[in-house]
Amino acid sequence: MSTVSLKGIKKVYDNKVTAVHDFNLEVADKEFVVLVGPSGCGKSTTLRMVAGLEEISAGDLLIDGVLMNNVAPNERDIAMVFQNYALYPHMTVYGNMAFALKLKKIPKAEIDAKVKNAAEILGITDYLKRKPKALSGGQCQRVAIGRAIVREPKVFLMDEPLSNLDAKLRNQMRAELIKLRHRINTTFIYVTHDQTEAMTLGDRIVVMKDGYIMQIGTPRQVYDRPESVFVAGFIGSPQMNFFDGQLERNGDSFSLTVNGVSVPVSEGIQADFLAGDIQSAKVKVGVRPEHIRLATAGTTNALTGTVDVCERMGGEVHLHLNTGSGDVVLRVPAAELTDEQQDSGYFGTDVGFTFISRHIHLFDPETGKNLLAQS
Amino acid sequence: MKNSTSNMELNRKGRTGLNVHRTISYIMLVLLCFLCLFFFYILIINATRTNNEIQKGISLLPGSHFMANLKSVLNNSTIPILSGLKNSLIISVCAAVLSTYFSALTAYGIYAYNFKYKNLAYALILLIMMMPTQVSAMGFLRLISSMGMKDTLWPLFLPNIAAPIVFFFIKQYMEANLRLEIVEAARIDGSKEFHTFNTIVLPILKPALAVQAIFTFVCSWNNYFLPALILDSNTNKTMPILIAELRSADYLKFNMAAIYMTIAIAIVPVIIVYFFLSKYIVGGVTTGSVKG
Repeated sequence: MSTVSLKGIKKVYDNKVTAVHDFNLEVADKEFVVLVGPSGCGKSTTLRMVAGLEEISAGDLLIDGVLMNNVAPNERDIAMVFQNYALYPHMTVYGNMAFALKLKKIPKAEIDAKVKNAAEILGITDYLKRKPKALSGGQCQRVAIGRAIVREPKVFLMDEPLSNLDAKLRNQMRAELIKLRHRINTTFIYVTHDQTEAMTLGDRIVVMKDGYIMQIGTPRQVYDRPESVFVAGFIGSPQMNFFDGQLERNGDSFSLTVNGVSVPVSEGIQADFLAGDIQSAKVKVGVRPEHIRLATAGTTNALTGTVDVCERMGGEVHLHLNTGSGDVVLRVPAAELTDEQQDSGYFGTDVGFTFISRHIHLFDPETGKNLLAQS
Repeated sequence: MKNSTSNMELNRKGRTGLNVHRTISYIMLVLLCFLCLFFFYILIINATRTNNEIQKGISLLPGSHFMANLKSVLNNSTIPILSGLKNSLIISVCAAVLSTYFSALTAYGIYAYNFKYKNLAYALILLIMMMPTQVSAMGFLRLISSMGMKDTLWPLFLPNIAAPIVFFFIKQYMEANLRLEIVEAARIDGSKEFHTFNTIVLPILKPALAVQAIFTFVCSWNNYFLPALILDSNTNKTMPILIAELRSADYLKFNMAAIYMTIAIAIVPVIIVYFFLSKYIVGGVTTGSVKG
């Protein structure tokens, strides 16, 4: 069993800067939780507090129900993989991986077996006699992971392990991590600023900003039901589009106006608004690029924009439109556009677009909170 | 056509300029080499000649009295060269080891840990660095006399445990080359702080330690001032003191050949140290100049 509980965790530095505010999270046994957010949001600080590398200013940290606040890092039964690998440069790969086991005075034969087993899992058996300076970035990262695996810890902590790798290698290592996770099946707490890593790796995602938790949920929950403008904008690529709108309530029905155009709201969303007793208000409307459709000829109540940029992504095209009141990005399947349109024919063209009504998100423009989450 | 002609002329002028520049550079370098190496060469040559031959003038060719001079120096009971070599070696090696190890330990403490008055401690160490040895010499002499350590080797290397200059250099090196994540990784792996320092940090500091060891060794080896104040008995004296005694000996018994031979013997250990560790000098001095 390897559960991790963070209760009211707070970190205040000597210069009175609060890096983490009232962090509450329960990590279940064998769960893969990802802390994601922009630089400086406190995710690495939180991870380092779990590791014991930073002192906890307030709150309780429990691993398997045991209070760990004042327990030394080596006694918490955790292993950590760092962004910069943190390999011991004067030791071979074998030496790096065996270091922790030697300190525990484990018999040589057992150390040898564990190191070779981990090396085989990670595909680094051929590099055991090399030193870190003779390895590539990806190989170094595997060694760092191997060094963690051999310890068979209760909790794996990973601090942006893929950040220093090039894009192609990052994709490759991400897939390897998913396979590895299923193979060793233990509890993971993973920190990243990359929302793609968060979405693909995590069982649950914790989105952070300025030391606060903005939302905790599964990737699907965070993507489909963002609780704030920040989460909505941070998760998803390309970013969610935002518009200023006016929500009007007439009895039990709702109407939405965006840029002077009446936009249909699905019955499901209207039922949710009714249940939440939402009233008429100015709103910020969020719609993901894949939930915007190009309007066909003759469509009424379509918003309009001029094509500014046409990004060919292979199977789809990202159309950047200038609406006069802001930029909008649409993801259009390539099959829906002619070759000429994809190449250059679309630049400067005025197009109409509509929203898929059941995928509209409404936020309070003052607080940034989702109207439904707020209610 | 006109353009290609003028380009060719420019290239020719450029090449001529480069050759002149190169020639001047080589002349300067040869001159500097000569200035550096000539005196060593004369030292070795004169160590193979007799006193009379030396007094006649400079020779660029070696003499035939190398073994005779060597025997004369080694058998001189008033100037115990072997004992002097031994004492100088003990002091220099111990000074090098103590200064590098404890300075690295101090630098690591300042670099890797946050504690109250850390900045004050750092400033204090730098302040002490500014103080010349001569200023504190008399007080030091009184202290060791009262401790019964006069005329012993201990006071000549024990104070090297606190070596501000070595500390400063190693700290600069650490800032450029030692990532604290490595220390944190070691902590998580179960390594205690002292163990981490000895098994992880020290190997990373090897180039800096080598450079400082060389400099401390040479400095201690050549040190005349403090040993002259502290050491009285012949059996405890170091090489610089013995060489000085040879120099100031009775004029009638003045033997230049013996002096040259003694100096030649004295520089052999230093040459050996430089020979084996020279690669670290160049690497270690420049590393740390750019933060990696």
